[in-house]
Amino acid sequence: MRRQRRLVWAAIAMVMASLCIAALTGPFHSGIGVGWRNHLVAWRLIACCIGAVGVIFLGLAYHRLAGAIASIARQLSCDPAGSMDLQAIERAAGTVQTRLQEGQKALHTLEAELSDLRIRSQLSDRQKQHTEAIIYSLRDAVVVVDESDRLLMANVAAAQLFGFDPAQATHKSLDQSIDPAYKDFVQLIQCSRQSATEATRREMQFARPDGPHTFDTIVSCVFERDQVSGVVAVLHDITREKEVSQMKNDFVSHVSHELKTPLASITAYSEMLADGEADDEQTRKEFYQVIQGQAQRLNRLIEDILNVSRIESGLIKVQKEPVSLTILIEQQMQMIKGFAEEKGITVTGQKPIVYDQVLADKDMISQVIVNLLSNAVKYTPPGGTVRIETEVNETEEVVRVTVTDTGVGIPADEIAHVFDKFYRVSANNKQAKGTGLGLNLVKQIVEKVHDGRVFVTSQVGVGSTFGFELPLAAAELAGTTR
Amino acid sequence: MTGKKVLIADDEIHIIHVVAIKLRNNGYEVIAANNGAEAYELACSEHPDIVVTDYQMPFVTGIELIEKLRKNEATRHIPAILLTARSFAITQEMQETLGVQECLSKPFSPKELLKTIEDILYQRAVAVKN
Repeated sequence: MRRQRRLVWAAIAMVMASLCIAALTGPFHSGIGVGWRNHLVAWRLIACCIGAVGVIFLGLAYHRLAGAIASIARQLSCDPAGSMDLQAIERAAGTVQTRLQEGQKALHTLEAELSDLRIRSQLSDRQKQHTEAIIYSLRDAVVVVDESDRLLMANVAAAQLFGFDPAQATHKSLDQSIDPAYKDFVQLIQCSRQSATEATRREMQFARPDGPHTFDTIVSCVFERDQVSGVVAVLHDITREKEVSQMKNDFVSHVSHELKTPLASITAYSEMLADGEADDEQTRKEFYQVIQGQAQRLNRLIEDILNVSRIESGLIKVQKEPVSLTILIEQQMQMIKGFAEEKGITVTGQKPIVYDQVLADKDMISQVIVNLLSNAVKYTPPGGTVRIETEVNETEEVVRVTVTDTGVGIPADEIAHVFDKFYRVSANNKQAKGTGLGLNLVKQIVEKVHDGRVFVTSQVGVGSTFGFELPLAAAELAGTTR
Repeated sequence: MTGKKVLIADDEIHIIHVVAIKLRNNGYEVIAANNGAEAYELACSEHPDIVVTDYQMPFVTGIELIEKLRKNEATRHIPAILLTARSFAITQEMQETLGVQECLSKPFSPKELLKTIEDILYQRAVAVKN
């Protein structure tokens, strides 16, 4: 009986072993090279043989059990009078029962193990599908090749970038699947594989329909028993990041230049005063005024830079309330009149017929109006005129304000840039000084903060019209604005 | 180095004014231009002994002015000092290639500018003598 028991457990162990080998080797079949695939086939054959032997052992064990049962039946049939030894019969029956119970236990164990293996196999498959789904959904391009540079996997982003169909290109050589324009990328993969470098990182630029794009490319080798079994490449588009970085550098460069310019005057004049280079009181007074003027200029510049930065970053505190543009315009016209009269420039205004209430931050819109008015006066020669008009368009539900001057005008090729940060029209530099931020601030306040629109028209030698539109308060409150 | 002629080019009127006062107080003759184009015309007509120019100016920048001076046979020899608020914009290599003798960062000291002009003109005089 002991031998019987050993036979049964050995059989169960063999069947389990074969099932394990089959389950473990299944998921890797599609993801490896030909050499390794042959190894796996050999392992699977061995597993089948072990399983078959296990089944034979089980069969043997039950054959013996059947033999014992048959022996009891024969004894019973040969002794119809019942003169058999009852104890012997009971012992035999007990043996059969024990063997049956052992057999059942073994079967239950086998079933439980089988079920467990099936679940693990399903989980492994699901995990593989999950991983593939993640890779396919990534915005970064992912390409996987084997040890012979044949394409194993490529996601949608890679297919779009390199212009191939992954289904068609799988298992084909990479340089045959990808356009020669991307040969640098193919060479990078080949070099990484040949040099067995764990990870290589490089910036690569590729021509795209919308212009050149820069990619942060990482190429990693996959190792199996110290041999390169494949290469994984991930390409992340950093074009926008580089543009932003360049813009930041340009901004810092501009700001530093603009801040240093008035500072240069302050430094130079201060040194001259300290060294006694100002011979008379008149010269000294002149020097003090320059220092004061440049310090104020520096202050205005810093304020403008801070305001522009705050608006751009959304940190500025906005307090919108119903305000009449006409009233704000009248206030700013009073402030600019003195400056205009000094230059011999006439400033006039025209009020709208219909009430022009808008939902706006009073201080910000006042800033917009004063910037436009002061620009108009600055760039208009003596004897010229500046006119500010307000018009309500009830159909479009907007208020339109225009500032028209008889100034120097702006060349056609520069009009598109006048609202850019630090932009100053070259031809007008002689006419007046400025930070180059005034109009940019106007644009930010009107468009970003108040959902309005700025515009400009101009003709060199004739004059310019700068303007802005804001939604009517009634329309904005009703939520019917454009 | 008194009696020498200095051409100053800068779109900032106050810079021209303070530099002119400093140089005149030290015996130099000063001519001024508000932009690179005007400066080039003055360099051709007035033949200054040295040019002091701002980097950033309308129409023609300081760099473009120096390039033009170097291309013209009549003005090629005039040494140039570049004033710039963007001190990182000009490398040593660029300075040598363009023929810029010295590059000063803004804000600069008028005393330092005067000394730089004197040094350059002295070296020129010695080189000519030899």
